[in-house]
Amino acid sequence: MYKVTFKFENGESVEVFAGSGENLLEVARKANVAIDAPCSGNAACGKCKVKLTGGELDSKQTRHITDEEYAQGWRLSCVSKIIGDVEVLVPDIASAYRSRMKVADLGSAEELQIFEKTKNDIASAGIAFKNDLEVVEITMEEPSLDNTMPDNERLTWAVEAACGASEVKLSFAVLMKLAEVLRKSSFRVQCVVSRDGERAEVLDVLSAEEKAQVCGLAVDIGTTTVSALIIDMTNGGILAKASAGNGQIRYGADVINRIIEQQKDGGRKKLQDAIIKETLNPLIDAMCASAGIHPEQVYRMCVAGNTTMNHLFVGVDADPVRMEPFIPTFFETDSICAQDLGIHIYPHARILMAPNIGSYVGGDITAGTLASTIWNSEEMSLFIDLGTNGELVFGNSEFMMSCACSAGPAFEGGDISCGMRATDGAIEACTIDKDTMEPTFKIVGDEGQKPVGICGSGIIDIISELFRCGIISPKGKFIREGERIRHDSYGMGSYVLAFKEDAASVKDIELTEVDIDNFIRAKGAIFSAIRVMLSSLDFDVSMIERVLVAGGIGSGINMRNAVNIGMFPDIELEKFTYIGNSSLSGAYAILYSKEAEAKVADVAHNMTYLELSNEPSYMDEFVASCFLPHTDATLFPSLEMK
Amino acid sequence: MPFTAKSGKFNAKINAVTMGTGDKAITIGGENVLPFYTFDEAIENAPKVGIEITDGGMEAEPECIQKCYEGCASVVDMAKKAATFEGVDFLSIRLEGGDPNGKNKSTEELIALVNDVAAAVDLPLVVCGCKNVEKDAELLDKAAAALAGKNAVILAAKEENYKTVGASAGLAYKQVVGAESAVDINLAKQLNVLLTQLGVSGQSVVMNVGTASAGYGFEYVVSTMDRVKAAALSQSDATLQMPIITPVASEVWNVKEAAASEADMPEWGNQEERGVDMEIETAAAVLAAGSNAVILRHPESVKTISTLVKELV
Repeated sequence: MYKVTFKFENGESVEVFAGSGENLLEVARKANVAIDAPCSGNAACGKCKVKLTGGELDSKQTRHITDEEYAQGWRLSCVSKIIGDVEVLVPDIASAYRSRMKVADLGSAEELQIFEKTKNDIASAGIAFKNDLEVVEITMEEPSLDNTMPDNERLTWAVEAACGASEVKLSFAVLMKLAEVLRKSSFRVQCVVSRDGERAEVLDVLSAEEKAQVCGLAVDIGTTTVSALIIDMTNGGILAKASAGNGQIRYGADVINRIIEQQKDGGRKKLQDAIIKETLNPLIDAMCASAGIHPEQVYRMCVAGNTTMNHLFVGVDADPVRMEPFIPTFFETDSICAQDLGIHIYPHARILMAPNIGSYVGGDITAGTLASTIWNSEEMSLFIDLGTNGELVFGNSEFMMSCACSAGPAFEGGDISCGMRATDGAIEACTIDKDTMEPTFKIVGDEGQKPVGICGSGIIDIISELFRCGIISPKGKFIREGERIRHDSYGMGSYVLAFKEDAASVKDIELTEVDIDNFIRAKGAIFSAIRVMLSSLDFDVSMIERVLVAGGIGSGINMRNAVNIGMFPDIELEKFTYIGNSSLSGAYAILYSKEAEAKVADVAHNMTYLELSNEPSYMDEFVASCFLPHTDATLFPSLEMK
Repeated sequence: MPFTAKSGKFNAKINAVTMGTGDKAITIGGENVLPFYTFDEAIENAPKVGIEITDGGMEAEPECIQKCYEGCASVVDMAKKAATFEGVDFLSIRLEGGDPNGKNKSTEELIALVNDVAAAVDLPLVVCGCKNVEKDAELLDKAAAALAGKNAVILAAKEENYKTVGASAGLAYKQVVGAESAVDINLAKQLNVLLTQLGVSGQSVVMNVGTASAGYGFEYVVSTMDRVKAAALSQSDATLQMPIITPVASEVWNVKEAAASEADMPEWGNQEERGVDMEIETAAAVLAAGSNAVILRHPESVKTISTLVKELV
């Protein structure tokens, strides 16, 4: 056995022992050392770089590492084998997703505005913002030798009287603590009650002095990012908001890789732990601390995630989701409570899940559709959720159709040599001077932040600008020469955005022809999906009256540039609206409103799912869309006019 | 009421592209109807038939073709003889020996051969590369220069090397640029757009939209050609109005039906008949699907297809 030391830039370190020949990335995973490996250790993405600072590794130099970097000690951990005691530095960027967990400052009005707007939109569609949870104060006659009714009957009678209910049920948790609470509080208690007409269930019982607060938790489980809210269930107020990277990321960047991973021995448990123990529970604790509540005061939870995330969250086998004929274990389920999954809130809290409607259209989309309120409008609306999977919903109050396309991780910076998620140091917007070819960009982070890489919205801008300036051809190949344009020994061109002297990175930040090609495929997948879905209805893009763009990726998105590269249809820019994380705002609505919960099921039932792989024209449309802006230039008349 | 047939001619036309110079120059394309729909409108330029030889000379030919070139000592002799076969409209020389993974002949050697062939025959010329995109960029650039003034067809510019081949053949030396794509209407169109954006005139481009031997995924070829013609004519898509030239020989003579000897496959019968049959069937089918020219290898196939075209147009 050899000693492996992982050092972090903040000075911390982790020591583990590993056998000869073990893979460094595997060792890191076992030791819970987060090394970003979107390609799941296939030596494809080049993201799992570590720096050798002591000892030796048996490690091949891959195309992701230059001679200079190799000489400095940079190695890809997925191709490195342990051959002796070794010490490696794990760069900060690799652990970025973990440190990215942040509890939002609720002072920012912008954050709250999105939820306020969703709430108003849904409310104006006639959905009442009320739920079945309430706190009821109960005073009982104290027992005596003449009054020998058992505690549970005493409480049941009292609740029946207080609530006017004919059928009252006490939860097991209540039974367990009843004797103590009743006596401590001299039979004056507060009950957290779930009421449904004549029926009532007592979820919790507290002494009269305790501060009773009924909270709820809304979570959007994204393939890449998890976002959550804690709300006050009595008034809908947001008490805390937070987000973190999905801890499953180290098992692969996309759902397919994760499903493959969960097939391995103990894999389901590993993936479930990654999302619940490593991601959700710390997030819940942090939010509860920030909101000043106890996690056990969270009496309900609502989860919106794609079908695979839902399966991995619940811990059921997701493999059938991946295999033809793509049949998931469940679309809807109402049988789970927090303690079944080990979620760190009130153990008997019901877990609501936004329903899935297909293997690749899940609860994130039904929740998002609910939030978008396209179901309440005569207008023909297109709802686009840009994520690792691109999902689309088109329709109005009369019908809705949905489909999913595999855009790949490019929108989130995956499969892009200098790609990254929209965290500190990401280039999120860019313009290029047509004559000098010099770029100007906007970087995520504080003033003075140096660029580290490029995120999705930045890539859209860069490609649009390179194309506008005639630097790349419609195929994404370089056709101009200059200081910032380079060709490697294989002839592959790239555009340098920031030379390493100006960047907070070990190498130049550039966009290569391969990156552009990957991105063109991603945008081609989205655009062709739009076209095929509309044409299956015998519609064309001119019939779209509004476009609602959602997804964490989209926050900095420049709609004009997205149209310029042929990602979105060429219709008036005023029709486009960015609606933020609609999956989370939908989950919020479902959590808070009983009627919204019913509505989302209704929305899901009314949505037709179109399986694009069954559409013969999809491949053809896809190839046509893999061109800037499109092989059929007549689809982009506004660009021809320029 | 008498029946009046309605003409199915279109308002759009396929570009008419001239190959070669002088008396022997030929023009392909120019029609405004579907292939062989002469009842809708007369077809101005009948499809043309070319014969192919390679830099490999006699040794590179199957036995049955060798005997047609009996007495030829060099590639130039073969070229001269090929020009005399019945029905030959143009000559194609394929420089397959240039392939770095094959004989890897030098560009100089091959260009010298191209010059000799060009001097020996007055037919319009097509120069085909070796299929290695990097070598072709160099080879076809030099070939375009060597044939300056001959209005030859340089086959072909592909997505990977269109910049070099297009700039040389289309811009510098004013040859006809062949644009080769892989059996996909969108890829064909994209390459034409790239070439025209480079500055090459769409009027001096011919397309090789890709082909296969009959029976080898051939329905993709037919549907691609069908759709290209439909887009060019019914939708007036100027980026697809280039005539199509299809090198049939290089596909057909490699498939087992044509290549297997009679000794190996006695139940299949005579090898020459099989090869010629495959070549004729494939050529007839791509012409019916919209090709404006075909390149064949066996003189018998050339003769038959040429007769077929004369009968139909």
